[in-house]
Amino acid sequence: MKNLYQKKIKKRTIILTFFLALWLCVLISRLIQLQVINYPRFRKEVIEQNQNKKIINPKRGTIYDRSGTILAKSLPVQSIFYSPLDDEPMDIQLEKINKLRQILHLSNKHALTIKTRIEKNDHFIWIKRKIDLATAEKVKNLHLNGVQFIEENKRFYPQQKLAAHIIGRVNIDEEGQSGIEYKYNSTLQGEKGQGIVLRDAKRRGYRFQTLKEPQPGMDLVLTIDETIQYIAEEELQKAIHRTKASWGTVVISQPFSGEILAMANYPIFSHDSPRLDRNGAIHHTYAPGSTFKIITASAAIESGRVNFKDQYDCSMGFISIAGQRIRDHKKYETLSFPEVIIHSSNVGTIQVGQQIGEENLYKTITGFGFGQRTGIDLPAEEKGIFRSINDWTKISIASLSIGYEISVTAIQMLQAVNVIANKGVITRPKIVKKILDPSIEAKKSPLQFKRVISEETATRLTSIFREVTKTGTGKEAQVKGYDVAGKTGTAQKFDPSTGHYSSRAHTASFAGFAPAEKPVISMIIVIDDPQGQYYGGQVAAPVFREIAAQVLRYLHIPPQKSLSEHIITAKYWKQDKK
Amino acid sequence: MVRKKFSKAQIILGISCTILLTFFLIFYIWHQAESIRIGYKTRQLEEEILSLKKEIEKLEVKKSSLLSLERVEKIAREELKLTSPEKKQIISDNLDQ
Repeated sequence: MKNLYQKKIKKRTIILTFFLALWLCVLISRLIQLQVINYPRFRKEVIEQNQNKKIINPKRGTIYDRSGTILAKSLPVQSIFYSPLDDEPMDIQLEKINKLRQILHLSNKHALTIKTRIEKNDHFIWIKRKIDLATAEKVKNLHLNGVQFIEENKRFYPQQKLAAHIIGRVNIDEEGQSGIEYKYNSTLQGEKGQGIVLRDAKRRGYRFQTLKEPQPGMDLVLTIDETIQYIAEEELQKAIHRTKASWGTVVISQPFSGEILAMANYPIFSHDSPRLDRNGAIHHTYAPGSTFKIITASAAIESGRVNFKDQYDCSMGFISIAGQRIRDHKKYETLSFPEVIIHSSNVGTIQVGQQIGEENLYKTITGFGFGQRTGIDLPAEEKGIFRSINDWTKISIASLSIGYEISVTAIQMLQAVNVIANKGVITRPKIVKKILDPSIEAKKSPLQFKRVISEETATRLTSIFREVTKTGTGKEAQVKGYDVAGKTGTAQKFDPSTGHYSSRAHTASFAGFAPAEKPVISMIIVIDDPQGQYYGGQVAAPVFREIAAQVLRYLHIPPQKSLSEHIITAKYWKQDKK
Repeated sequence: MVRKKFSKAQIILGISCTILLTFFLIFYIWHQAESIRIGYKTRQLEEEILSLKKEIEKLEVKKSSLLSLERVEKIAREELKLTSPEKKQIISDNLDQ
């Protein structure tokens, strides 16, 4: 009896265990099917059905100046979006929007757009993006169902308008629109991430899940120096106000490396203005006028066609070429070659140009990089206008010798000045010092230099351009205590309505470097359409003096010459520590 | 039905096993609870670090904007009534020579 009972129990237990095991196997198999085998497909389907995929913008890289000052940085801010609940009546939804409208100061047009999208059953509607924390708190305190917050980044420019033309601007989605922000957009932007808003059965968003983490952008260090940029902008602004000019630009560089220390433009715009997109230093072309005599003089010496002792008759005050009369700004007698450049005689320079010959002049102009982009790392650089030698007319050599029949950008002209400062070697101007990424740092290639003119030619030219600021047209560029080399330029502006150069509108410029022996800075100043005084020596050269004096002091470059006999200077000797 | 009688040693062994098992279970639950508690604490601290990092970044931008040269010059000139030095007031000397 007992055995029979035990057998029965055992049999039942076995059957029960079998079914339990079977049920468990089925359950596990189904779970594996759902969670492992079909997981990617189901996940994809859920995301697609949900229709609430959201791109997560990565944190944009920071832009610093060469000394580590923040020029542009992205900071997290709150954005508000509305995700309607399925069963909620329309009037309640509109009431919510009205409440938000008051706090967020939404325009009628914007509110109407939101209402239309609610009616269309949109599940993701932006209410307002990138709002301040205080406003976000006010909205949170309303506890409105369906009104949700998302963290986004907003671009801040703590130096405000400083270097705004260089840095550029971004749109609401933090995509670069101009300047460095545009040129280095992919580097700064990083990689976008992806997320979804998870919802419950009533389609209430209860969680934001990140599907792909965003990769933050890399930081950039510019060659710009905040202080030098500030000095340049201030002095340029003063000059423009003083001369009532229409616009102006100042570019300062380190001649050896080609690094741009400052690039100022006036008028200046804030970071949200589309007018910021035009950077005069690289986008605006102009006839260089007499500053181009730097190239003519280089070609003269380098070709060996002109001797320092050669004399040129400038007594007529004008020269006739192919029926056109080209004048000097004042009458000279017979001038030697250096004197022609020092006094910026058009008559003398044209004779020099004719002596050089078309081939040599063309070769030198192209060698200095005119007619080509300098390759500066800023977007949409202009290459200017320089015609091929085959298209030259009878007057071309005369015009080109004195800086007409060619249009250049300020950055091209500065690159040419740097050739003289660098003893004949051309360097590519650059504005990004480094990208803060170890892998790119490893690939960094050494600086490559190309010789344009011989060292001897450059040294001889430097001595001429030093005289320009001592006794010639550029006296106003002299900086007390320092030797300055440079060249003034005054060019008549081309008037498209008449098809001729205007005698009323001018472009005044000065290009030079200091100290002349061991140049630390090179600079170009272009002032467009100054009223009243219009010569480069009167309008642009003083700007060079004011900026160079401050910049050399800031860079701790001591004066080479005694400042004044009336000043008693105290000398400090450091004692050696033993 | 006859109930089996356990010996004293068996009972002691049984009770010991139960106590041990209970101890392990309690330890396991405590360990799990503690892990979760530490996890929450870690998460909370991570969030705090993140929020402090964001705060530092905001302060860096604020510092940078407060030290902007335009603002400094404005305060120096308008509030402190400072002026630029005259050219004769600047004496430079090369200390390294």
